[in-house]
Amino acid sequence: MNTTDNLRETIKMLVSEKKVDLFLGWEKGSLPLAATPLFITTEKEADRVIFDVTCGNNLSIYFTKDKKQYADKKVGIAVKGCDARSVVLNILEKQIKRENVVIVGVPCHGVLDKKKVLAATEGREVLELVDNGETVTVKGRGFELSLNRQEILSSSCLACIYPDAQEYDFFMGEARGEVANEDRVKEIVDFQNLPDSDRWEQTRAEYQKCIRCYACRNVCPSCYCNVCFVDQNDPKWIGGTCEYTDSVIFHVIRNLHVAGRCVECGACERACPMDINLLMMNRKVAMEVKDRFGDVAGLDINGKPAMSDFKEDEKQKFIMG
Amino acid sequence: MNMVSLDKKKFGSFILELSAEYAVYAPGKTGGKTEFIPVESEDEIDLKTLVTDLSPKGIFFPHSEVLYEYDKEGIRVPEKEAGKPIAVWGMRGCDSRSLLMLNKVFGSAIQMPDNKNFQDPYWKEKYDSSVIFGTGCNEPLSTCFCNWFEGGPHSSQGMDVFVADVGDRFLMEPVTDKGRAVLDKMSSFTDSTEEDKTAAAQLASEALGGMDEPMDVNGLGEMLNKKYDEPVWEDISAKCINCGACTFSCPTCHCYDIQDEGKGSSGKRIRIWDSCMFPIFTMEASGHNPRALSSQRVRQRVMHKYSYFPEKYGEFLCTGCGRCVTVCPVNLDIREVLKRINEYKKQGITNG
Repeated sequence: MNTTDNLRETIKMLVSEKKVDLFLGWEKGSLPLAATPLFITTEKEADRVIFDVTCGNNLSIYFTKDKKQYADKKVGIAVKGCDARSVVLNILEKQIKRENVVIVGVPCHGVLDKKKVLAATEGREVLELVDNGETVTVKGRGFELSLNRQEILSSSCLACIYPDAQEYDFFMGEARGEVANEDRVKEIVDFQNLPDSDRWEQTRAEYQKCIRCYACRNVCPSCYCNVCFVDQNDPKWIGGTCEYTDSVIFHVIRNLHVAGRCVECGACERACPMDINLLMMNRKVAMEVKDRFGDVAGLDINGKPAMSDFKEDEKQKFIMG
Repeated sequence: MNMVSLDKKKFGSFILELSAEYAVYAPGKTGGKTEFIPVESEDEIDLKTLVTDLSPKGIFFPHSEVLYEYDKEGIRVPEKEAGKPIAVWGMRGCDSRSLLMLNKVFGSAIQMPDNKNFQDPYWKEKYDSSVIFGTGCNEPLSTCFCNWFEGGPHSSQGMDVFVADVGDRFLMEPVTDKGRAVLDKMSSFTDSTEEDKTAAAQLASEALGGMDEPMDVNGLGEMLNKKYDEPVWEDISAKCINCGACTFSCPTCHCYDIQDEGKGSSGKRIRIWDSCMFPIFTMEASGHNPRALSSQRVRQRVMHKYSYFPEKYGEFLCTGCGRCVTVCPVNLDIREVLKRINEYKKQGITNG
């Protein structure tokens, strides 16, 4: 039985045996490059569930939407490795209760980044996509291309170490285990090694693209403040224009606010309508957190988030300078 | 003057000639995305892209615009750059139509309660003197649905000059007197041939024929009004994450916020795009929010476009460009929302 079939059967069981009130999964979207979130309450709806390279959404965002609308419900959720870390983080941060969530892991081989697919088709519209595993076939008017999966994967997936849910109730198929991903920090280290002026120039150029739509913030499962600092106007912390002076402040503060909480799922970068490289900064911060506090966000359900914990022997470089 | 043809080899000199009198905007690439950018030469123009990632509304209604500055000396409207009027090349029918709609809001003489007519000077200053060269779409995208709303791939509404791409040449047809006057003054053209006119007509009919059947939008506003208080909105909005990607990429969304940025005794007042998707959009000073829930905000966006605006201005506030469909991070497809509302019409059901 393949992952999708397996997933459908599991959801049907959970729904029919009333183990969940609602199950969060993905279904085929109206566009070939993106699946869409599906809210399942009946067995019939479960037949629409899919899992493939288009299932980029981290569904755990819905736990904290509209002030925890599902707080009193039993919710099942399909998760990739990164999504599972978000669920765990939500549990550790007391947004949801472990006993109220049924976590169903899916074996993830990475999800696509739309801009990479469009680069491969040279901008031609994709009308159909087939996920064959190692390759992904895309078809449009007068063309059909077989793309190597690695070429179109989201940058978060290319840097992924934990493709499987570490915390789950059911797992759909074979877990991949930890991926030895030695090049994962190359992009960050290369950036770090640039002269200050170049780093600033790149950062400014990147964030200058921002139109302040907040898609990055709103798809982020770690961004669930009741009132985000950009939405506070008494006092007002930050200007609302597209000038880079405003945009950089927004992105850097968001960056630091998800320090030790970002699970590097890449949802922000895939959601960005302006193709801003949002992940590198987040990954850099995650790298620092691991280095200084030995913590990987959302990996250990018995752990404590790095920013909520203190150890006597942890590095104090940031105080000592 | 009738239609003229422009050999594509002369496109560069046409743009140069236009630049002499106008600040020319055209589709171009910035950081990998396409939007309308100021151009000075042919090389900067992207002739391939059909629907740019960002709509051209920002040319006339920028994301952030300083309305005035103040200090102890008084209040000043920022000095206008000794600017040429704006010419836009390559605007598609969906986008040029959107300007007509925005002009109803910002540029038309709307009677205010005190019997004064309001016109937005910041909009009018840019829009009234502009000239729009629009281009027909020969191969509409699967996300295009301009044919739902009295538009079409070769519609020329809102354009001063309609341009058909007939292969080696652009066939240009003046739509307004302003467009005719601009063409009259320019020299790069040759007379149009019957062959080009036939080719353009053929392309127009093929383009329209290649699109999906339009949904019947008659009575859509009325059905939305009937459904206003019903639970269907919770279902429709369940996946919406309330970002502003749809509203900011939309050519017709025009809500804005006014923000003051001051320091000491000086500062400025800025108009900034706002989005009905954001909770703060309707947050009141008391802390009460009449649209606190996602479902209320999604409903507002749909109602404004397909019920309130038509009631007030006589047409839908949507041109079917499909940008919101493409850009939505959770694939909440407005066409599916409208089809769902339309289903009630077919079924004759008004409850549920």
